[in-house]
Amino acid sequence: MGILIEVDNLNYRHPNSEPGMLSALRGINLRIAEGEYVALIGANGSGKTTLARHLNALLRPTSGSVRIGDLDTQNPRNYAAIRAMVGMVFQSPEDQIIATTVEEDVAFGPENLGIAPQEIRERVNTALQNTGMSEFRLRPPHQLSAGQVQRLALAGILAMRPRCIIFDEPTAMLDPVGRKDVQALLSQLHKEGITILYITHFMEEAVRAERVVVLCQGQVALDGSPAQVFNDAPSLNKSGLERPPAAVLADVLRPQIPQLAGNILTVEELTQSLLACPIPSGRILEQPPVEDEQPTPLIKVHDLGYTYLKGTPFAERALTGASLRVDEQRSHGLIGATGSGKSTLLQHLNGLIRPQEGTVRVGPYDLNDPKIELKTVCQLVGMSFQIPETQFFEQYVGDEIAFGPRQMGIKAAGLVQQVRQAMEMVGLDFEDYKDRLVFTLSGGEKRKVALASVLALHPRILALDEPLAGLDPLSRRDLLENLREWQSSGVTMVVSSHYMEDLVELVGVVTVLKNGKDVISGALAKVFSRRDELEEAGLEAPLVTQVAASMLKSGWALPRGLVRQDELVRAVAELVKAGVHE
Amino acid sequence: MSNFEYLGRVTIGQYLPIDSFLHRLDTRARLLFFFCLLAAITLAAHPAGLFLGLVVALVCLVIAHIPLKFALRGLLPPLPFLLVLAVIQVFLARDSSHSVILFQFGPVILTNTGLWAGAALLIRFAGLILGLSLASFCLSTSQIIHGLDSLLKPFARIGFPSRDLIMVMQVTLRFLPLLALSAERIAKSQAARGAEWGIGHGSLLQRARQIIPLIVPLFLTSLHRAENLALAMDARAYGSSSRPTSMVEMHFQAVDGLAVGLGFIITGVILVV
Repeated sequence: MGILIEVDNLNYRHPNSEPGMLSALRGINLRIAEGEYVALIGANGSGKTTLARHLNALLRPTSGSVRIGDLDTQNPRNYAAIRAMVGMVFQSPEDQIIATTVEEDVAFGPENLGIAPQEIRERVNTALQNTGMSEFRLRPPHQLSAGQVQRLALAGILAMRPRCIIFDEPTAMLDPVGRKDVQALLSQLHKEGITILYITHFMEEAVRAERVVVLCQGQVALDGSPAQVFNDAPSLNKSGLERPPAAVLADVLRPQIPQLAGNILTVEELTQSLLACPIPSGRILEQPPVEDEQPTPLIKVHDLGYTYLKGTPFAERALTGASLRVDEQRSHGLIGATGSGKSTLLQHLNGLIRPQEGTVRVGPYDLNDPKIELKTVCQLVGMSFQIPETQFFEQYVGDEIAFGPRQMGIKAAGLVQQVRQAMEMVGLDFEDYKDRLVFTLSGGEKRKVALASVLALHPRILALDEPLAGLDPLSRRDLLENLREWQSSGVTMVVSSHYMEDLVELVGVVTVLKNGKDVISGALAKVFSRRDELEEAGLEAPLVTQVAASMLKSGWALPRGLVRQDELVRAVAELVKAGVHE
Repeated sequence: MSNFEYLGRVTIGQYLPIDSFLHRLDTRARLLFFFCLLAAITLAAHPAGLFLGLVVALVCLVIAHIPLKFALRGLLPPLPFLLVLAVIQVFLARDSSHSVILFQFGPVILTNTGLWAGAALLIRFAGLILGLSLASFCLSTSQIIHGLDSLLKPFARIGFPSRDLIMVMQVTLRFLPLLALSAERIAKSQAARGAEWGIGHGSLLQRARQIIPLIVPLFLTSLHRAENLALAMDARAYGSSSRPTSMVEMHFQAVDGLAVGLGFIITGVILVV
């Protein structure tokens, strides 16, 4: 097949970058053939988005050249043809919807290309069908869910019938089922012969591509098949990335099961390879779970109902009788599909939203009592929203973090002390960071500032809405470490997340929400063993649980309810040891 | 309703997708007809013309199959204001030459012209409110955009940037709910850190002061959004063809012409009577 994208010695400097700074892209050479499926990965700020924007002439090289199907992106006359050829789905899908109804938004691209009305109509219909959006064709875009907006953005590109589609982290904000849908759509498009360039922070998604390109500080660090790239762990780490979770799990199991294949990258490969391994005949005596002392309840939510814009034609029911009990020192997870009411429930916990139906009790406060002020509650419950860095309102890191304590009337030395402490808790050096401008920080640093600004009030409870979404693997690991440190210092967390792997590291108890109601609640092991109900709620058990379940099925006498990697490894080790003794 | 709901989920206008004769008319015909009617009611000098305008609006509501009760409910919220205005009008509007004094009590003088002026004000506003709601019941935002686009097209020949203007309108409509949503998020994240926000007490000045820390970040996020939107439009080839097309095709038929003609006649009658 012919070459579609040719990038030669591409250098790019941001127009107003400071002289000392490195160029955003440095000497990139890349060839992408028609019909290829390429994953582009790299740490936050490695230049992925900047490179992608060169491929449909949104940005032009400072030096070097980019040619798309023989058309040079430097020539403005080629723009229309290039953009018809290379479509792009952006990072935040809600910002790329232009029209006031779904079908008109899909028609926007073809209209600009000057296509005849009947053909536009036909293309719009096909695009809506392929993305499963036909039934919403007349809806205004702000009444769609996050997953639907994502599909609408894709439909708008599909209607232009491009030869290549670039996806810039399309799954960062989606629930597990939404992520799977996107993957299925990608393979479908790939089968139809469309060239795909897929930018992601998820190694398990990158593995599904035919080819993986790794960017590091504006340069191509690795370029090859998934096997080549992901087996080069040292180079990956240098680029701020990790091996895919299934590969990591295989690595830690291999000392116990030496027969495990050496090049495992996906869950399917792992379970397949495990089938071929000898199964130890040993058995582990299942220990009854240790019941420790009765925990004291810290948060009690009973039968909570909430409707946005109640009493107007736009009323939208978000919670329908949700209950939640969080115990002192027992961090709690909230999981559920997008739109299941997690965020609304979290915002009840510090009094931002007052209960319409049902009751909320947090610590000593009864939030049904209007006399209890938000200002009082928020000193007990710190709250961090989704993508908190979009809500910064101060210029400097120090001021942003000092906002909360200042509201409480803390001044001078006490204020400095509190800010310093909060910054140390997230691992930012006070002297080094306090006078930096927030918007110059990296993605991971911004997230830390956002969390420090909540911690500055010393809350005993933290409500975190998707605290790790959108971060690259190393920043995630780093922040996860921080969160666990706070927990051991006595903070109780209520965390909502779409990433089960992160959640099992943070909490011991979870509640599953579905359509605004709690459907399952309890210890991780109990909840994640109910596979069908999880799937119904748009969720998926963590990788370890999935692998353990398939091992159990094939005859491994593993105990039930394994959720963490170390638990699985320990159980397997015991089994293997017991097997040898027999 | 919560303190933090800034109408981010509200659509503008209240389009009712009913299948009526009026809804089936060509969008441009509807736009022109409503424009004529509203202009006539605004400008009509004589009570008889005003009354005719009100009747036409009511008849159109019936033709559009819109429950009259529902439409008339729109008159209730502004009614107290209108009554106050009408009463003021009654005592202030005095055309000294022809007016007949009906009633006098000290400085309070009631004349026939004053009464007429008060009544005219009430009828004019009732007609305008009904006419505007009629238009919003019958035209969706996207229809307004496409209709105006088509009506303004002739002006594009003399260099009037009609398509860009329509685009600006469309993007504005699209942005308003997003703006409300961003405001909601920022206000919430400030309140979550102890800012007194949206709570009933505090003087007007204090409350106004609360808005200031909201404005700067709101501008920043809006600029950021605008930048993203511009990129997304570029990526979808906006402005790259000199002759962009439209998915929505409009067919102007005899009946549409008739409706527009009728609109002109009604306008004429209302203004002349």
